[in-house]
Amino acid sequence: MSASLEKGIHALKEVIDAPIASYFNSCVHCGLCAEACLFYLETGDPKYTPIHKLEPLRRVYEQEYTLLGRLKKWTGLSKPVTDDELDQWQELVYDSCTMCGRCSLVCPVGNDIVYMVRKLREGMAVSGHVPDGIKGAAKRTVEIGGPMGLKWPAVANVIKKAEEATGLTIPVDQAGADYLVLLSSMEIVNFPEYLEALAKIFNKAGITFTLASDAFEATNAGIQIGNSDLARVIVSRIVDAAERLKVNNVLSPECGHAYMAVRWEGPNLIGRPYSFKVVHVLELLDELRQKGVLKVKDKFKEKLILHDPCQIVRRGGVLNAPEPLVQMVAENYIPVADKQMWNWCCGGGGGASAIHTEEAEALRAKAFGIKKRQIEDAGVKTMVTFCANCRIVMEEAIDHYEMDTQLLGLTELLAEHLED
Amino acid sequence: MQGSLIDSLARQGITRRAFLKYCAMLASMMALPPSAGRAMAEAMATARRPSVIWLPFQECTGCTESITRSHSPSIEGMIFDLISLDYQETLMAAAGHQAEEALHATMKSNHGKYLLIVDGSIPLGMNGAYSCIAGRSNVDLLKETASGAAAIVAMGSCASYGGIPKANPNPTGAVSVSDLVKDKPIVNIPGCPPIPVVMTGVLAHYLTFGALPELDAKGRPKAFFGETIHDRCYRRPFYDQGKFAKTFDDEGARRGWCLFELGCKGPVTYNACATVKWNGGTSWPVESGHGCLGCSEPDFWDGGSFYKALSMPADPLKLGGAAAVAGAAAGVAVSVANRVKKGAAKASHEKATLADLEK
Repeated sequence: MSASLEKGIHALKEVIDAPIASYFNSCVHCGLCAEACLFYLETGDPKYTPIHKLEPLRRVYEQEYTLLGRLKKWTGLSKPVTDDELDQWQELVYDSCTMCGRCSLVCPVGNDIVYMVRKLREGMAVSGHVPDGIKGAAKRTVEIGGPMGLKWPAVANVIKKAEEATGLTIPVDQAGADYLVLLSSMEIVNFPEYLEALAKIFNKAGITFTLASDAFEATNAGIQIGNSDLARVIVSRIVDAAERLKVNNVLSPECGHAYMAVRWEGPNLIGRPYSFKVVHVLELLDELRQKGVLKVKDKFKEKLILHDPCQIVRRGGVLNAPEPLVQMVAENYIPVADKQMWNWCCGGGGGASAIHTEEAEALRAKAFGIKKRQIEDAGVKTMVTFCANCRIVMEEAIDHYEMDTQLLGLTELLAEHLED
Repeated sequence: MQGSLIDSLARQGITRRAFLKYCAMLASMMALPPSAGRAMAEAMATARRPSVIWLPFQECTGCTESITRSHSPSIEGMIFDLISLDYQETLMAAAGHQAEEALHATMKSNHGKYLLIVDGSIPLGMNGAYSCIAGRSNVDLLKETASGAAAIVAMGSCASYGGIPKANPNPTGAVSVSDLVKDKPIVNIPGCPPIPVVMTGVLAHYLTFGALPELDAKGRPKAFFGETIHDRCYRRPFYDQGKFAKTFDDEGARRGWCLFELGCKGPVTYNACATVKWNGGTSWPVESGHGCLGCSEPDFWDGGSFYKALSMPADPLKLGGAAAVAGAAAGVAVSVANRVKKGAAKASHEKATLADLEK
């Protein structure tokens, strides 16, 4: 009702900073980022070249902040960015970019391309060019509390079931706990075993934890949509709860972009450092493994490969924790060629999985081709991952291709084989 | 002299094997396929030696010296001896009326078939009176001889482009062969003097294929004049590294660095010296420590000092200071303007709400 091109351009002018200026100036048009992008790789369409996805941002930068660009704009050599153009770019900025950051990793001049995609989304958001799916998720998160529209009673229900299954108490709103446990809606709805697993592990390790009734959702659709104001509202809930309950740590769930939002974007959004530490669940588990608290009673026998979620591993920096944990619990772990920071995205990160248009779904299925080959080349029937979103996206794709592959969450897999 | 070339060569102590090797070398130098070497050998060995008339005009005999004396006895020299050189003032035994008779007899009996080699430029001033043979001006002689020639070879820079006689102020009104003759195929073999093997290469090609080799825009055989001295110079790596001799006796000169700053014209001179070398492959000007004069290029004599570099970089320090100041000033101005603009954009930020996502 109030989104407009002017607002979009204004937002872009606001977000363009020194890094962006130097990135655009140092791009040597080598095209290496294309080869790093799964959407280009699987479709062969050059429009999916990551740096090309930033064209509107580049033009605004050139026209507003460079001498030559201003001259070009003034003489009509460089046309201003139009609403139609942004509309056309919506597919490139949302449907075909999962913010996986592989392009930033390969750029020979060190351009952080995914950083710029995130900034371009600021302009896309307030000019009204966000896919409805992500917009809906953002709306539900701000208005109701989570991208799926879940409210506390649903969480309370999961807690009750977990307590019944494990025989342990799961504390809520308990001040002074070591860890504030966050969940993602995916876990609440689709993988409630996660909370059970966690309760068992905490109990075994003797660590205190709590959930917060006003801040249970870790995901942040404001970041996916690319609007800092909304993202700030969402992340502030967690910060407020953590500081009110005086916890030492906030435990980010397996979910990839939730970790990115709380751990890396959060302090920048609120403009100050946290008074607590943000820990990814795998970091905690690996620490417990090293301390010898985590011991398995038996091992998973089947051959399996690991899918490293981009936002946790490549972009999040949790590089070394996952593999030893998998090796601890799996007898036949087969490392894939492109692993850890070189992993290939599931195809639905960065909000893409919330877009349910036919084209977007077809594109996601196509982009899954590379994962499909990884699974087939390794000759496995099991893939382990530690991101609820990756898991959902890949499960959809596995159904689409009618593959005989099962997906497991790493935390659950560990919990299943832990010593009692 | 009678008989085929191969017999004559054998009589002079040149084996068939040496001759074949030579033909293969010629073919490869002219970038012809390997089979052309054998074809050349066969054609030259059996060919009836073509009648050649050599006319010297305003020249210094350097071109003749180059061909005949460079590294005697050479196969070039042998072949040159063994074409039917029916008229060459410097080399022929006959003189006076006898010589003129020989010329006219050849022109008559081989009309339309003989090869005309010209060295020296042709003066047009004072009706051509600056240079006469047997009472006739060079320009008359050239026109008469050229009319019955199958093709003309302009030997050396004077015949090709006017050369030193044409140098400013050109008192004799000297011109090149191609300035006067327009209706015959002409090959320019410039150089002061030209490289002997280029001459024999062109002759061999003519004998083998019955046609002149492929020429460039300045009428030169591409096979020998296709690349610059600079492109093939063994000192080129020093140029690429920016290592230059500054004087003829400095450390750089002793180390054999690039002679560009001492006026070497290699970068603008098309010739084969760097690959063929001189005096039987002994050396060539740059190898002996002196820059190329560009003697095979038109009007090389009027191109300024031989010791003036083709171009010199502007004083980098002086310009560098000014550029740094200008760049810093521009940078500050742009950054201030941009900061103001971005500041204004930030100041006028309107907090986005969910409503702002909808159009």
